[in-house]
Amino acid sequence: MNIFSGFSLIAHSIPYIVNGVWTTLEIALVSAVTGMVLGILLSLCKIGRIKILALLADFYTSIFRGTPLILQLTIVYFATPQLIGYDISAFLAAVITFGFNSGAYMSEIIRSGINAVDKGQFEAAGALGVPYGAMMKDIILPQAVKKILPAMMNEFITLTKESAIVSTIGVLDLMRRAQVVAAENSLYFPPLIVSFVVYYFLIMILTILGRLFERRMSRSD
Amino acid sequence: MIKVEQLHKSFGTNEVLKDISLEIKKGDVVAIIGPSGSGKSTLLRCINLLETPTQGNIFIDDQNVTTINNRNMIKIREKVGMVFQHFHLFPHKTVLENLTYAPVKVKNKTKQEAVQIADELLKRVGLSEKAEAYPSRLSGGQKQRVAIARALAMEPDYLLFDEPTSALDPEMVKEVLDVMMDLAKQGMTMAVVTHEMGFARMVADKVIFMDKGQILEVAPPEEFFSHPKTDRAKDFLEKVL
Repeated sequence: MNIFSGFSLIAHSIPYIVNGVWTTLEIALVSAVTGMVLGILLSLCKIGRIKILALLADFYTSIFRGTPLILQLTIVYFATPQLIGYDISAFLAAVITFGFNSGAYMSEIIRSGINAVDKGQFEAAGALGVPYGAMMKDIILPQAVKKILPAMMNEFITLTKESAIVSTIGVLDLMRRAQVVAAENSLYFPPLIVSFVVYYFLIMILTILGRLFERRMSRSD
Repeated sequence: MIKVEQLHKSFGTNEVLKDISLEIKKGDVVAIIGPSGSGKSTLLRCINLLETPTQGNIFIDDQNVTTINNRNMIKIREKVGMVFQHFHLFPHKTVLENLTYAPVKVKNKTKQEAVQIADELLKRVGLSEKAEAYPSRLSGGQKQRVAIARALAMEPDYLLFDEPTSALDPEMVKEVLDVMMDLAKQGMTMAVVTHEMGFARMVADKVIFMDKGQILEVAPPEEFFSHPKTDRAKDFLEKVL
């Protein structure tokens, strides 16, 4: 059997695989937003004056960076029902794990961005009497985000790709759907290459959107 | 009135200010001069609470600001404006937004009021046509004039200048000094750390000469520039004039 007849054999399943992209995107987006919010909070703890919060935030980061993501996911999905008796859905387990994990990485990215903002900006805002919260929100973070946009985009792309491991807990994402079709037909190359191509174009589109966004943000330069 | 009493400031073991006492009366223009590293900037930064003094008291309108809480600190900073050597305009905001942000956020002015005040101030510093520009499009002199306007937009009682012309190309110094002279004429209370001796001589009511963290001389400019009392001041003036 040649490659082409393999593709024609699974042709009716191709839309099923391709539609997995929505699940993949959904997980990536929800996790990215969760990670962003967590990352901002954690980074503020890290640069703040309250020692105990800084230590806790560092500890949080070390936990998520110091263990495999697939292990974190497995614990959240399989151990949660046994620990607290809540029958967690695969999707929720996925976005919690990815969101919390991404929060750890994002906090480091944002922290480096805040540190890269000229100290004079803090002083100028302070000298005008701008309170800490408003200063961070309106003056410091917008400048920090601009500096770390490429790193944040990178994190989001990693998140999108790495979300493929949710296939291990049965979420029907791009990866899992390809595996399902492969198993049904005992045919590996065609379905896997379909998801391969979809992942690739998805990431390319995200990269281009990221570049456009970066350009828009740099209009004040 | 700003009154500084026996102020000390150390960074680690390095004592930058040693027993500084001075007074700045309403309407006064005080020029603070001296060699680099003499503690002039640190003194200004202490007055504006950007640095916490190690010892001593600073009174602003009879309120001791060295023992102040956060909320009152904001009130004091509304009263005391600051202009920095490197401008520190907000790069992601337009000139107009730079001027209106703090009045709206801190003084609860309406957007309309703030814009009106900003328009007048921009006219005053001669930059009306730059209202919609981003700071990166301005020259150094223009940036500093915007920074002065931004400080004025808070309607402060006192204005502190930390070497406002030191980062400027020589041909832009005058446009900034002109704005400052204009302010002095209108009775603004100002403390200016500067290397512009001409400005100090012409505009200041009082010259404070500092060296190695101490105030060595306080005198009217004519007296200071023609008859400096200390050798250190004579030496300094010989080098800069």
